[in-house]
Amino acid sequence: MSIQLTLAARYMAGRKLRTFLTTLAVIFGVTIVFGLNGLLPAFSEAFRQNMLASAGKIDLTVTSASGGTFEAEVIAPVRSVNGIDEATPILRQNAILPTGQAVNAVTVVGVDPESFSQVRPHSLVLGRYLQAGDKNALVLGEKLAEEMGLKLGDIFTLPSAAGATDFAVVGVIATQGVLGVEEVYVPLSTAQAMFNQAGRLNTIEARFAAQADRVQVAAAVQAQLGNRFKLGEIEGGGQFLSALAMGQIVLNLFGVLALAMGGFIILNTFRTVVAERRRDIGMLRALGATRGMVVGIILAESLLQGLLGTAIGMLIGAGLAYSLIGLIRPIFEQFLHMSFTGRPVFDIPVFIWALVLGVGITMLSGLLPAISASRVVPLEALRPMVGVAAQRAARRGAWVGAGLIGLAALTLISGAPKAAAAGAFLVLIGLVLAGPALVRPIALLFGRLLTVIFAREGQIAQGNMTRQPGRAAITASAMMIGLALIIACAGMMSSMEEGIGRYLAKSMGSDFLLMPASLVLGGGNVGASPELAQAIRDTPGVQDVTTLRLANSEARGTALQLVGIEPESFARVGGMEFMLGSEAQIYQELRNGRGIILNGVFAVRNPVQLGEWVTLKTPDGERAYQVVGVGSDLLNAKAATGFISQANLAADFHESNDLLLMVNKTPEAEVTAVRSALDGLVKQYPALTVMESTEWRETMIGMFGKVVGSLYFVLIALAIPSLIALVNTLAINVIERTREIGVIRAVGGTRRQVQRMILAESLLLAILGIAFGILAGLWLGYSLVGAVGVVGFKLTYFFPATSVLIATAVGLIFGVIAALLPARQAAQLQIVRALRYE
Amino acid sequence: MAIIQTNNLSKVYGSGDAVVTALRDVSLTVETGEFVAVMGPSGCGKSTLLHLIGGLDRPTAGTIQLDGDDLSRLSDTRLTEVRRRKIGFVFQFFNLIPVLDAVENAALPLILDGMKLAAARATAAEWLQRVGLDGQTSHRPDQLSGGQQQRVAIARALATEPALVLADEPTGNLDSRASDEVAGLLRQVADEWQRAVLMVTHDPRIAAYADRIVFLKDGSIIDQARLNGTPLEGAQLVRDKVEAL
Repeated sequence: MSIQLTLAARYMAGRKLRTFLTTLAVIFGVTIVFGLNGLLPAFSEAFRQNMLASAGKIDLTVTSASGGTFEAEVIAPVRSVNGIDEATPILRQNAILPTGQAVNAVTVVGVDPESFSQVRPHSLVLGRYLQAGDKNALVLGEKLAEEMGLKLGDIFTLPSAAGATDFAVVGVIATQGVLGVEEVYVPLSTAQAMFNQAGRLNTIEARFAAQADRVQVAAAVQAQLGNRFKLGEIEGGGQFLSALAMGQIVLNLFGVLALAMGGFIILNTFRTVVAERRRDIGMLRALGATRGMVVGIILAESLLQGLLGTAIGMLIGAGLAYSLIGLIRPIFEQFLHMSFTGRPVFDIPVFIWALVLGVGITMLSGLLPAISASRVVPLEALRPMVGVAAQRAARRGAWVGAGLIGLAALTLISGAPKAAAAGAFLVLIGLVLAGPALVRPIALLFGRLLTVIFAREGQIAQGNMTRQPGRAAITASAMMIGLALIIACAGMMSSMEEGIGRYLAKSMGSDFLLMPASLVLGGGNVGASPELAQAIRDTPGVQDVTTLRLANSEARGTALQLVGIEPESFARVGGMEFMLGSEAQIYQELRNGRGIILNGVFAVRNPVQLGEWVTLKTPDGERAYQVVGVGSDLLNAKAATGFISQANLAADFHESNDLLLMVNKTPEAEVTAVRSALDGLVKQYPALTVMESTEWRETMIGMFGKVVGSLYFVLIALAIPSLIALVNTLAINVIERTREIGVIRAVGGTRRQVQRMILAESLLLAILGIAFGILAGLWLGYSLVGAVGVVGFKLTYFFPATSVLIATAVGLIFGVIAALLPARQAAQLQIVRALRYE
Repeated sequence: MAIIQTNNLSKVYGSGDAVVTALRDVSLTVETGEFVAVMGPSGCGKSTLLHLIGGLDRPTAGTIQLDGDDLSRLSDTRLTEVRRRKIGFVFQFFNLIPVLDAVENAALPLILDGMKLAAARATAAEWLQRVGLDGQTSHRPDQLSGGQQQRVAIARALATEPALVLADEPTGNLDSRASDEVAGLLRQVADEWQRAVLMVTHDPRIAAYADRIVFLKDGSIIDQARLNGTPLEGAQLVRDKVEAL
């Protein structure tokens, strides 16, 4: 082993507590990064397997490029291609079953029995397969039949556009190792009627002839069909996968922030290491060690620390991933309607990413102290330390920091939300840099307060803290990041809570809502045919009804969810907030010709002007729509969405089922009377539930509150490194001041006084961190709320008073907890040994 | 042969009103195998002289020739190399690395110079034996007495076979018995191993082990004495000289 590594290992072993605390900072960050990165692929993999399994072993799948349905005649050109042995028409639709059933959802597959069994042969377990001439017959997998307790001849009710359709179970087939949403097979014509898609398909599956050139046959099919169609991919799930990708980014960000806090802790440790070993370093330089060798010794130590922390972090992270999977599995099955047998996936990139971050940040944090160690001239190291250089560096940092904060203030004043959000991060960096210069004034300010509580010890603590302003500032910086995130997120959340309430009142402001089982409009909901809306209109006490329909498309390379609205009634019963265009005019224009309202999410990715034309992919080819407005509603706040008239949706996308219905009663009608009439009508539509809007809004806001609550839990966990930072700094201070503590005890200081001194110092450090954290957190939150407005979701900033109090309390509690161990250590020092300590 | 030759060496600290002249026009020569002691009252410039000759600090004026190299003209890198290869240091507080054992501490300059670990350890062990420490090679500094620690430091200073050994108050932290042992060892370094030894001390009894004593006052050499008699006679002579200063 090289001398650098030998020295590093020995020094680390000699300071076990400090090594442990510093390594803990690395462990925490790596645990998050490694564990969660290993966990998330398990979800995508499970999802992919679900998709693949449900597609079975099919040679070729044809779907519409727009993701919608297409005319059944398309089967003919596919069959005509040389090398295609058989092709079968399919209409498949996810259906969420009414609550209270053993299974949450199934995929209804409408098939042409004869050609389907050619393309995808099934092995029959019981009964018979579907036959030509079957109407309400259904075949299902063995596992599903078992779970639902269905036998041959039993009735299986599926939601449909006409309400519900009853099927008789005629056969059970072997389950093909399918995970998650199981398929049930019904005759194609029945499926088309059920989903109001007469004469239409959404998938063609084909089998190649033996010895056919697969690539060539696929190319020939594509050439035959043109670019309205795509091959090979099973549609759907894209939204889920992109949500997972987003989750991964957010969680990685958490990990990186945790590691950044860890970086501050490591920086502090190594600065102390260098100060503590000035004599050793000086002696090495005197003996002929070059500057490079000195850098090498410090870096070797940070390398060892990084490797150790990363290795342990990986182990704990893996454990975390495995235990989290156990916790998450039921949620996954309940809400995503998929069985989940996945395990965490730790492939090479996950290892590399954790290693690069864990070791990289540790080494980076060790670099500055290492360089400063190499600058120690041998002679200077043999003398007592001089404080001038540190003061000069602090002053320079303060100027740069003040400059950055000033710049950030300008971005805030400029009113440009994106610049302001970037500016908020400048504030964080600015505070880190200006920190050392702020330590003294803040210590003086709060030190007085502490002197009241702690008398003499408070004064000593205040002096001790200002003696090492750099170290105090770095500790405060670590704490600042943790608390700033809590406060910023709280600011965001309270503003969003108010905003959601406002948007809900605006866009879902009707008296009653007829909701599908899943709020994600495209998430496997079965719509109702227009007859239901008509029946509601005819109900006494109902004044107005408007409905939302849904199709998928693509515009300017962006997947676009299309919502069909009926402009006139939508304006009266529903509504949205517009960023471009005037409300009255927009609805007017939507009725004439092909007009579209785009939402903020689409407009941010593809800036558009009023009157501009965008081309949408439809099952029948491309259609140009004119932008009549840009606006947002809450339901579609996350996905790129366009709103067009229901007439156009029916003409271009062949979609005329209502997914969501909004109903207003007449002023004089009784709520209960209208409600019971609606309940009566909806009874035949198990896919829909009647809700009073106020009740639903409360549920929504309550749900949001639950999400916020769990997020706080994560954020407080994220603040844990700041606790480690405090303990670390205090432990270092105790070690460094061993001799002073010995003197205090020798001249008559009690153990209790020594403990109180450390506690006072810890509280002062915590107050410094809290002060930085509140300032940065409020700034960050305010800018982020502004940035959300960019996607069309305009929010008013709400001061998160409760969270500021929570963050202060968390900070102070951390201050007390952090002092426990170092204070005990200091109080138990043996006076004679402490006095001899070097 | 002269190992060290300083010409009109001066060192000034501070500027303006706060100027302190630590050394003034010091010219000194030390030969191979010669043991020279530097004495004088506190603040006379003894340690400054040692630091300048050791390449730990740079002079304000004058030159230092060390085995043919002009130290005042060398770059930091070259100076580091000269320290590594041509000078051995012995400090008052031993300055051993607490986490390394005796043999590792003694081998440190060799390892820093790129020697293979096994070879460095073997050489270091040999030197530890020569300085009378063969039984404690695997002890860490805190397991050794002050005298033993200083022997390790001397072995470390000699391990690279330097031309010059610089000792800054090497007995300042030792009891009288250990002090005599260390002084005797430095005598041996000059006589037996033919190194030039330059030692700063304020103890006349220890200075009497040297061949020659240089007396400094207010940064200048004010007297020199060559010792030829027994250590006892030498010590008396030194005491007389010190009293006369």
